[in-house]
Amino acid sequence: MTVKLPEPPAGSCFHCLQPLPADGGYTIRLLDRDYAVCCYGCQAVAQTIADQGLLHFYQFRDNRNPLNVPLVPEELQRFDAYDDERLQQQFTRDNANNGSRETSLSLEGMTCSACAWLIEKHLAPLPGIDQVAVNASSERVTIAWQPDQTKLSTILKHIAELGYRALPFQSASQEQDFKKRRRYFVTRLGVAGLATMQVMMIAIGLYFGMVSDLDDSLRQFLWWISLLLATPVLLFSAQPFYLSALRSIQAQRPNMDVPVSLALLSTYIASAYATITNQGEVYFESVCMFTFFLLLGRYLELLARQRAVSAASNLIKLLPAVAQRKNQDGQLEHVAVADLQLDDVVVVAAGATVPADGKLMQQTAYVNEALMTGESRAVAKQVGDQILAGSVNQQQLMTLQVTATQQDTVLASIVALQDIALSRKPKWVENAERLAQSFVKQVLIMALLTFLIWTWVDPSEAFWVTIAVLVATCPCALALAAPTAVTGAIHNLNKQGVIVRNADVLTRMESIKTIFVDKTGTLTNGEFRLLNHYQHATELSIDVLWSLVQTLERYSQHPLAQPLQQLTTTSVAIDHVEVQPSFGVSGQWQQQQLRIGSLAWVRQWHSQFQPQIASANVFLASETGILLELQVGDQLRNGAAETVAALQQLGLTVVMLTGDRAELAAPIAAQLGITDVHAQCLPADKLALLAERQLQHPVMMIGDGMNDGPVLAQADISVSFAQASDLARSAADAVLLRNQFSAVLPFYQTALRSQMIMRQNVRWALVYNIAILPVAMLGFITPYIAALGMSASSLLVLLNSLRLYR
Amino acid sequence: MNFDALAAVLMGLAGAGHCLMMCGGLAGALGQHATWRQLLLYNSGRIISYAVAGALIGAAFTHLASGSVHGLIYLRLLAALLLVLLGLYYGGWWLVLRHLEALGKPLWRLLQPLAQRSRNRTSYPALLAAGMVWGWLPCGLVYSALSWAALSGSASSGALYMILFGLGTLPAMLAFGWFSKTLQSFLRSQGFRQLMGLLLIAYGLWTAVIALRQLFAH
Repeated sequence: MTVKLPEPPAGSCFHCLQPLPADGGYTIRLLDRDYAVCCYGCQAVAQTIADQGLLHFYQFRDNRNPLNVPLVPEELQRFDAYDDERLQQQFTRDNANNGSRETSLSLEGMTCSACAWLIEKHLAPLPGIDQVAVNASSERVTIAWQPDQTKLSTILKHIAELGYRALPFQSASQEQDFKKRRRYFVTRLGVAGLATMQVMMIAIGLYFGMVSDLDDSLRQFLWWISLLLATPVLLFSAQPFYLSALRSIQAQRPNMDVPVSLALLSTYIASAYATITNQGEVYFESVCMFTFFLLLGRYLELLARQRAVSAASNLIKLLPAVAQRKNQDGQLEHVAVADLQLDDVVVVAAGATVPADGKLMQQTAYVNEALMTGESRAVAKQVGDQILAGSVNQQQLMTLQVTATQQDTVLASIVALQDIALSRKPKWVENAERLAQSFVKQVLIMALLTFLIWTWVDPSEAFWVTIAVLVATCPCALALAAPTAVTGAIHNLNKQGVIVRNADVLTRMESIKTIFVDKTGTLTNGEFRLLNHYQHATELSIDVLWSLVQTLERYSQHPLAQPLQQLTTTSVAIDHVEVQPSFGVSGQWQQQQLRIGSLAWVRQWHSQFQPQIASANVFLASETGILLELQVGDQLRNGAAETVAALQQLGLTVVMLTGDRAELAAPIAAQLGITDVHAQCLPADKLALLAERQLQHPVMMIGDGMNDGPVLAQADISVSFAQASDLARSAADAVLLRNQFSAVLPFYQTALRSQMIMRQNVRWALVYNIAILPVAMLGFITPYIAALGMSASSLLVLLNSLRLYR
Repeated sequence: MNFDALAAVLMGLAGAGHCLMMCGGLAGALGQHATWRQLLLYNSGRIISYAVAGALIGAAFTHLASGSVHGLIYLRLLAALLLVLLGLYYGGWWLVLRHLEALGKPLWRLLQPLAQRSRNRTSYPALLAAGMVWGWLPCGLVYSALSWAALSGSASSGALYMILFGLGTLPAMLAFGWFSKTLQSFLRSQGFRQLMGLLLIAYGLWTAVIALRQLFAH
């Protein structure tokens, strides 16, 4: 039998696949070839295998990434079903730009942020993976991959190998999952709470008993009772800590649950040992109390996270599962929303929720888009307007033509955005986590040192002093400090209709000194209206003039012409109408030539003409004279002036940028109290202005997401307004969904507040951990005091972060 | 409970990752259709060999252990040192221990023909014999455990320590293929091995501190 031996991964031992020692190790000759092995043991085993003719062993085993990838068990083969294209359409989205496919999967079995790291690191080396972002809060992973290079089943299998289950996200099951998680914690908390009360009572009795000379057999009896009560706490209630500790060890990023688990297990074992041998000390009450308080902290954290997440997932949940579709012969039939196809015609009853994005097929409709924008006002829609899935039909029956379903709807993209914001960790969260991690290592080393030193000084005390060090210095508060603050801030902002795409902006906000604001569409509504007029031709009634204006302007496509097309019901007859692009419209009325349009257009007839209204921008003239001048402009957004004033009061410089003429910009700037105005800016000018200011300090840019793309990209923080339907196209760091400029203020304040709270948290956690270390090492703290101190410190941090939720 | 015996069990248990990588697949290869009983016999053979080695070492050092207190303490320091080295080896930080395995190589050369002879025999005695041969594979882990048998003070307790050590390795060896893949991937992971390494180093240092304390007390 000829056997071809597989090549081991480079730098690994041929036999055991562990890394070779630096000097290359030893070699073994198999089938006339030398292979590197790491030790004499492997050499001997490999030789034996060869001598016994068992070389096929090497052939059939899995040689990949030996340190953490086992073989794929057969039960995972069923993942292949998810490679079905039709099935995938229901839960994936194709990105036409780069041919990648994106999906959001829910993960089961997540315990901590180490899990997120583990999954991201494990998937990244697969071919064709563009992006993996695990959201530890919502327990979801967003994956973008090239379907032609890697199959979805491969990805699912890889996740399963790590011991997690990743399945296509279904919001209904997520809600159940949340319930399951809550129950998981509540039952454990309950057990720990009950046991803690009992054990504490006994412990207090024993402490007093020490003084008043307790009967020895009674004391032992009480120890046994405590042992019995503490056992379920240790085995059942404390499970989450062990799991998380094991995961973090596997990821080579030991987290705080490692010292916690060590402390719990060794305290329990030592106390049990003392109980059985009836000598020494017992600390069952510390085991129970520590578990109880830690669980309480985790439970609160879970609730906080779920509150942040459910805001997003609730959105999807509210979509109906069944839609009414009109089939070819006009009959209504009920179909599952999942089966809706593009261009299907669906009918939505009054008060019902729209199941898919679609175009309105009737004249008017009123919908409530509160789900997307948070604004619970009925919005009027015209025929052809886009109606978003998740809106509620406010009035009569509504007919839609489907333009997007399921994962392609705007609603789904909002949820995806929120997911991504929560899963991309800002740098300072990563820094805080890294700090907590290095702290864990130091805690372990300090505990070991304490143990060794105390063994030398006083072996009888060494054990309990070490436990106290492990417990007291556990950086739980430090690990909670940053993530809880971010989650809270993002949740709070979402509630206010601010979608943060990138949580890093929360950090950068502090350094912002100048805010650049685009005028049109940002400070103003971007909807032109007739603001002012001046009548030159007194011989004509104003009604006739309105009628002339509207009749001519109806031929024009110019934005300024729009508000001038519905001025009066009087009608006049105009012939020979001609449109002169970039000038205006001309026509003939009662043998007179008329022109309407720009100043330059009428000055061709009346070169000396000076407008009466400085900012007038539309003029009606005949060959004999100017008839009417009009000022068409857009309106300030609600609260814009107050917001600008408030921002200026906070010490920010507000700069207005606009492509309009200075005469148009100046009155608006004056109204808003903005002194720094740059008019007639081309996009390149805006960019240059911004870049120049950036040399001094970081800059925030608020603009219309569509037209100011490059300028927004240049800014340190970019904010754009978007109708929910444009969300996907906008590239800003933050999007103001409610279409209110005033939302900038809470955005700024919440970001600053989250920074402040985070900083308080970290400062407190550091002060506590550093201060308690020497005290604990000197042996001044019993395990019981240590548990109290640590729990109190993490609860404090947690409660501090919860303030952000309000 | 004797803390030296605990060290022996701990070394076996901590070796789970190492054993899985080194010999786990081998157990599968040798007994591809191995029944539960066959695996148990095979491993019993291995543990018997450990016990024999432990008894030999224990007996050899009896004199030293009972003769002088200091001798025992030095022996304990040596054992502690080996434990630390083993911890460094597990964690992959310093692989000096593998040189120790060279000690066992000549012995293995003698025994290897036996291993070949027992090939393809599935009778129970043959399996036991094959397991016994396997017990003499050069293995730094076993040699470190033997250092604890040496300071146990007698042949019988030396054998006992090595049996305890062998029992500690049993879960990893016996349950290869029974463990869930998740658990296996955890046991093999570098993180687990480093943790176990740290644990052994801590244990070794602790033993050393106690031994030094005794040394200075006398």
